[in-house]
Amino acid sequence: MIERTPWLNIATHLILFIGLITILLPIWIAFVAATHDLAAVNSAPVEFLPGDQLWVNMKEAWVRSDFAIKFFNTFVVAIGVVVGKITLAAITAFSIVFFNYRGRMLIFWAIFITLMLPLEVRIVPTYAVAANALQPFQALLDATGISWLIQSVSGVEVALNWNLLNSYTGLILPLVATATGTFLYRQFFLTIPDELVEAARMDGAGPIRFLLDVLIPLSRTNIAALATIMFVYAWNQYLWPLLIITDAAHYGMVVVELRDLVPDSLTTGGDTPNWHIAMAATMMVMIPPILVVIFMQRWFVRGLINTDK
Amino acid sequence: MRRAYFKTSWVAFALVAPQLLIIFVFFYWPTSQAVYWAFTLEQPWGGGNAWVGFDNFAMTLSDPIYWDSVTVSILFALGSTALAMSISLLLAMFADRQLTAYKLYRVGLIWPYAIAAPAVGLAFRFVFNPNAGVFSYINTLFPNLWDPSVSGTQALIMVIVAGAWKLVAYNFIFFLAALQSIPRSLVEAGAMDGARALRRMRDIQLPLLTPTFFFLLVINITDSFTDSFGIVDTLTLGGPARATNLMVYKIYADGFRGFDYSGAAAQSIILMILVMALTFVQFRYVERRVHYT
Amino acid sequence: MTLKLASAALLLTAAFTGTAHAEKTKFEYWYGLTGDLGDVVLATCQRFNEAQAEYEITCVGQDGYEQAVQNTIAAFRAGKHPTIVQSFDAGTADLMLSGQFYPVQKMMSDFDIKIDWANYFPGISNYYASSTGELFSMPFNSSTPVYYFNKDHFAEIGLTEAPLTWEGMEAAFVALKAKGHACPYAYEPSSWIDLEQFSMAHNVPVASNDNGYSGTDTTLLFNTTLELKHMENIKRWLDEGLLQIRTAQSGLTSRDSFVSGECSVFFSSIADHNTVHKVAPEGLNWDVQMIPVYEGTERHNTVVGGASLWVLAGKSDEEYKGAAAYLAFLATPESEKFWVSNTGYIPVTIGAYDALKAEGFYDKEPYVHRDIAIKSLTVTPPNNLTRGLRLGGMIAIRTEWKSEVEAALAGQKSMKEALDTAVERGDAILARFAKTYQGKTFP
Repeated sequence: MIERTPWLNIATHLILFIGLITILLPIWIAFVAATHDLAAVNSAPVEFLPGDQLWVNMKEAWVRSDFAIKFFNTFVVAIGVVVGKITLAAITAFSIVFFNYRGRMLIFWAIFITLMLPLEVRIVPTYAVAANALQPFQALLDATGISWLIQSVSGVEVALNWNLLNSYTGLILPLVATATGTFLYRQFFLTIPDELVEAARMDGAGPIRFLLDVLIPLSRTNIAALATIMFVYAWNQYLWPLLIITDAAHYGMVVVELRDLVPDSLTTGGDTPNWHIAMAATMMVMIPPILVVIFMQRWFVRGLINTDK
Repeated sequence: MRRAYFKTSWVAFALVAPQLLIIFVFFYWPTSQAVYWAFTLEQPWGGGNAWVGFDNFAMTLSDPIYWDSVTVSILFALGSTALAMSISLLLAMFADRQLTAYKLYRVGLIWPYAIAAPAVGLAFRFVFNPNAGVFSYINTLFPNLWDPSVSGTQALIMVIVAGAWKLVAYNFIFFLAALQSIPRSLVEAGAMDGARALRRMRDIQLPLLTPTFFFLLVINITDSFTDSFGIVDTLTLGGPARATNLMVYKIYADGFRGFDYSGAAAQSIILMILVMALTFVQFRYVERRVHYT
Repeated sequence: MTLKLASAALLLTAAFTGTAHAEKTKFEYWYGLTGDLGDVVLATCQRFNEAQAEYEITCVGQDGYEQAVQNTIAAFRAGKHPTIVQSFDAGTADLMLSGQFYPVQKMMSDFDIKIDWANYFPGISNYYASSTGELFSMPFNSSTPVYYFNKDHFAEIGLTEAPLTWEGMEAAFVALKAKGHACPYAYEPSSWIDLEQFSMAHNVPVASNDNGYSGTDTTLLFNTTLELKHMENIKRWLDEGLLQIRTAQSGLTSRDSFVSGECSVFFSSIADHNTVHKVAPEGLNWDVQMIPVYEGTERHNTVVGGASLWVLAGKSDEEYKGAAAYLAFLATPESEKFWVSNTGYIPVTIGAYDALKAEGFYDKEPYVHRDIAIKSLTVTPPNNLTRGLRLGGMIAIRTEWKSEVEAALAGQKSMKEALDTAVERGDAILARFAKTYQGKTFP
């Protein structure tokens, strides 16, 4: 503490405490739902105090969803996405901020626009790409007449094919390109003083050396924040895995299984409202992201730029 | 802005190439097909299509219900962004004071972001339930005051709060990270000048937060327009009487429930143009006030 | 990464003919049912795989009817689709006009599998058949709407028989309210029940061209029929406090409100019979009845709801043989019994129903009175107005109906204006559908 501020401290605690309660209320309700049996969870009025069925529900959810393999898969995918995203976003933003070439803003905008059309609305053509990731190039070759040329010269038919369905690559690759990450790094890199760049150039350090030795250490807290967000984002992926994974026994992801436990509101009835199982599964699915949040905290430390204490 | 750069070389292009390659394959290529559909009548099972020019756009833009959907989307985006930004900034500033139990607050306030969407829907249904939920206490005091299944305004408020709830956690992480990377010496220098804690927040920390603030503003608004499908689908299904029929939800409902791929494609393009325009305005006018160095 | 991409890019395919012979022919089936019902579907797949050695079915849950159809379309366009897909009633018009399917009746006869098609309940088979009566898809999870009532509440007002007319229902609601029941009827706007099945039971049209069967230049008619009077009654009952709106969006579904003993009546699919048994607290005394009709009209049959199984185009004969074997397996009385005893659905063949009845299946809880649904389906043989609906964009039309009815119930407009708007907007959807499939007609 720098100085004593008793009233402000009380106000701080009060605000944080109220914020915490409000923010956690919905989670508490989900938790309570996970601790009751079928009849209680569907009764009205809603229970506000936990019951004693948590363990039973969690066991049932674990067995029904065959969660062990799915937790493993999701973990692999989430780590892949985090590493890929942080790397890609950093180098892209670096190029855009620290080089002065024509079209760099165009590139920034080209990346940014990808935020503006969610997967939900372009799912059909995106699936076609996942079925053959080289299809765009094939189409370009065909359209420009190059494949015809190759075929008439060498007699070989050009058929590019790279199937991403039912694979980790298919789960990870489309998720690593990220406008959010690039944008965040741009914001941070713009705050780096010109003097640092000039000093690096004076020392004869090249751009890559500057990136690795100066920028990455400086952006530790931002990387930690981004990694936390990206891990959770990848962990909670639903629509894309549902679409491209038909071999759930080997490549299934947790939230897809979780959704399968949630009653479908659109069937004309007949689906048992197993909210207690679904919520027990939610509680389990939530644990790894929370652990990551806690783990990442160690990088949330003060005073990174000036070390002159 | 920046004056010092590295000499442009192949390195600069090698660094952007991987990302560009991926977005070309997984975004621009598929999207270009959706754009083509917007000018045709596409049969869902791929039986062919007929070129119709701008008919799909004309049909969409001449529909008063579509404009209602635009209005609701803008209200939703502004509402949830304003709510989420202000609450998360407040909480982050206070959490940054690092009083006792602050680690607990930190984890607790990030927690909502870790929750998978289906649980969010259920939890909020219980919170806002007019008959038996938390909000039913309002109804015991003022009978029939709260019922989001009948009142469109209340349904919209419910969706805004639920949308903001998740954004608060998201924003909190980034605000906190930004606050933590403000050098201690700067804040200490302020303390020695005799500035009190609140003054310090306003004069030293807030200006240094502007790059993050701008980042979150742009992301929150974009997200509210494009990523709000799940909330509407679990909470209101666009109702009652289309009161929460957000643009992105309508696209999904028309295109993939109603199998009108072409109409949905035209709406997607309009949504994209709208969000791009908003983003452009923010970059043009808001970013001017951002302090980078 | 770059290396891998390069090697993949160099993969040039010569004409490749599959010579590898697996012992079993494998094929895929994508289904939309979730939760407990999804588990029962998986069990049928397992039973099939254990019952024979020639084929192996892989069943993939798609987390909902919509995603099942949606993902199948995406996969179909990329040539990676399953052999069989479960499609819900309203999602089939596009599939029918696209022609990208293998009609099951034709498939069965192509592979010499004998199925007694006359054995299917006409109210079910007609819904999934061409206008000439050839079945396109295999009836599977089948239901029809009924209403659920609280027997104790009805006894309080001296009712021992559940009413079969809307007039009787209204009298019951009034009496229930007078007895202090604040919520006689838990209402959830449902176009499936309030419009489609209501029109079938009253033998009134939903749309022109025999509800769309005989052409695509169809227009909606439901703002001119008895439907209008009925929906105006719903609004009046809401205003008079005889009915309360209970939807998932308000936090409590109509079923939740019913099983908690608060509301006396709710309408739903017979498939909920199983669910109400599971969630109702001890001592809730309840039963089901056919949906009511208005006095002065002759009761007609209701039609099937739920989903059927479609076989998609573009697969090998081997896979079709496997699909045919699986569908034939599902049509056996043993499989039907397995299905109906583990879910709330009803049998689809007369034979299976008779056999179940003969062994006293419907005399034992939890199946008692579940055959009310069969009664409702077979009141009359289906005619040109009661065999079903064949409307493009059916899901979008349902949404229009619901949005407009919600507006009327909230007092924003009269019910007549609401239905007029729903018809007008629905007609635009139909016209757009017809234009998309210009020159094509329902087979």
